[in-house]
Amino acid sequence: MLKMLGAVLIITAATLAGWIQAKQYASRPNQIRKLILALRRLQTEIMYGFTPLPDALERIGGQSGEPIRSIFRSAAESMKPGGNRTAQESLHAAVESGWKHTAMKAAEKDVLLQLSYTLGTSDRNDQLGHLETAVRQLESEEAVAREDQARYEKMFKSLGLLCGAFIVILFY
Amino acid sequence: MDHSQSWLNVFPDHLRSLLAKLPPALFAALEEVRIREGRPLEVNAGGHYYFLTPEGGLTRQPAEAYIPGKPEGNRLLDLITNHSLYTMEEELRKGFITIAGGHRIGLAGRTVLSGGKVEHLRDISGFNVRIAREIRGIADSLLPHLLDFKQHSILHTLILSPPQQGKTTLIRDLARQISAGTWRHPEAKWPGLKVAVIDERSEIAGSKRGVPSFDIGPRTDVMDGCPKAEGIMMMIRSMSPDVLIVDEIGRPEDAEALAEALHAGVRVIATAHGSGVEDMPSRPALSKLSETSFFQVYAVLNRTEKGTSFRLWDGKRRRVQEAGWKGRDEHA
Repeated sequence: MLKMLGAVLIITAATLAGWIQAKQYASRPNQIRKLILALRRLQTEIMYGFTPLPDALERIGGQSGEPIRSIFRSAAESMKPGGNRTAQESLHAAVESGWKHTAMKAAEKDVLLQLSYTLGTSDRNDQLGHLETAVRQLESEEAVAREDQARYEKMFKSLGLLCGAFIVILFY
Repeated sequence: MDHSQSWLNVFPDHLRSLLAKLPPALFAALEEVRIREGRPLEVNAGGHYYFLTPEGGLTRQPAEAYIPGKPEGNRLLDLITNHSLYTMEEELRKGFITIAGGHRIGLAGRTVLSGGKVEHLRDISGFNVRIAREIRGIADSLLPHLLDFKQHSILHTLILSPPQQGKTTLIRDLARQISAGTWRHPEAKWPGLKVAVIDERSEIAGSKRGVPSFDIGPRTDVMDGCPKAEGIMMMIRSMSPDVLIVDEIGRPEDAEALAEALHAGVRVIATAHGSGVEDMPSRPALSKLSETSFFQVYAVLNRTEKGTSFRLWDGKRRRVQEAGWKGRDEHA
């Protein structure tokens, strides 16, 4: 009886692990898409709104869903006057601390960190150029992420269950 | 941090800690902090200059001085532009940025030209932080000479002085006193007047989001960040001022707008760069105004270590008053 219970537990755990991994694959392209939309809005704020960066990030954060919201919000927060941190440092710190709550990978993180070096430090056209580059890179990452999703999402779902079953068979 | 030290906020940590080590008397009298990339860090106070050493001491030897580098310059630029250089394109074209509190930061770098005109400023490596101070009562001794007893108003006045002699501080206090009706004269008993300030560089009122951060009087309206000629016309049309106050006139269109104000019956107090009334005819915009005897009083400022003195001329540029002291180097 106890053995039976253990087997059920192992299978449930393995299935859940598989589901979680699969969900990561499913959320990554969506989060990248949201990040792209956020950067597009930032482009508009800079080009047509002349909005200062802290206000723009605050606003975009408000419009985006989690986990992107907290990254932009915390960057905007640390750019407030008196904080004595540059835009680059603020965004850097926000990305480093908020990244673990996202499903995105190192490639997308690098794009944002790269962008942080130039954000706010040049004229509008230049800013647009940099944002455009970042958006392009993210789009190519999104394509890769979608492929991965198609390839691995289902696989991980069944793999979890199968692994659980395999362990149970071995020990039973 | 109180209002008078708000300018410290824009400095990177390291520079801020160096400045905080200055002797309190010098710190209170600071007028300019100059940061030049790869060259000594300089402060100006009371007409003297000093370099800062890496320990925060004062020196006149460039070799002993602290030398700010590129990262500090970049950080300073990031902080003074509120991390948004792209919102400052117009300011960069003019060569300065005004930060909260009315402090003006002059910039030097490499210009980018377009059609022979300055389009943009890049590689910014020189900063001059000019600290705006509110000195209440600095205009006390000048104001009685500007009164128009017949009309119960103020005479058209042009204040001339070289840079860094306290023009802006003076007209800020004039705006406050005229608006409040403190005329500093026993026979002047009329109430305060409606004052309109055209604050092209946000220096007079130090406006933040449209609200003045300096005390410029209860009946004073401020048009912030507005080109002078346009601002004068807008104010006359919309705010029915009794007295117009503008800083640093010098372009031909400024003169035309001032003439318009004269016809509208508005009194004008203006300032201009210049060392005396003698060189007015050689300045295109000013000569026109002096030919038409627009101004009824000319005041020329001269700052010495003891304080600021002024000399007065009447509308026909005849000397009327020998140096009167208004030297009060205390800070409100």
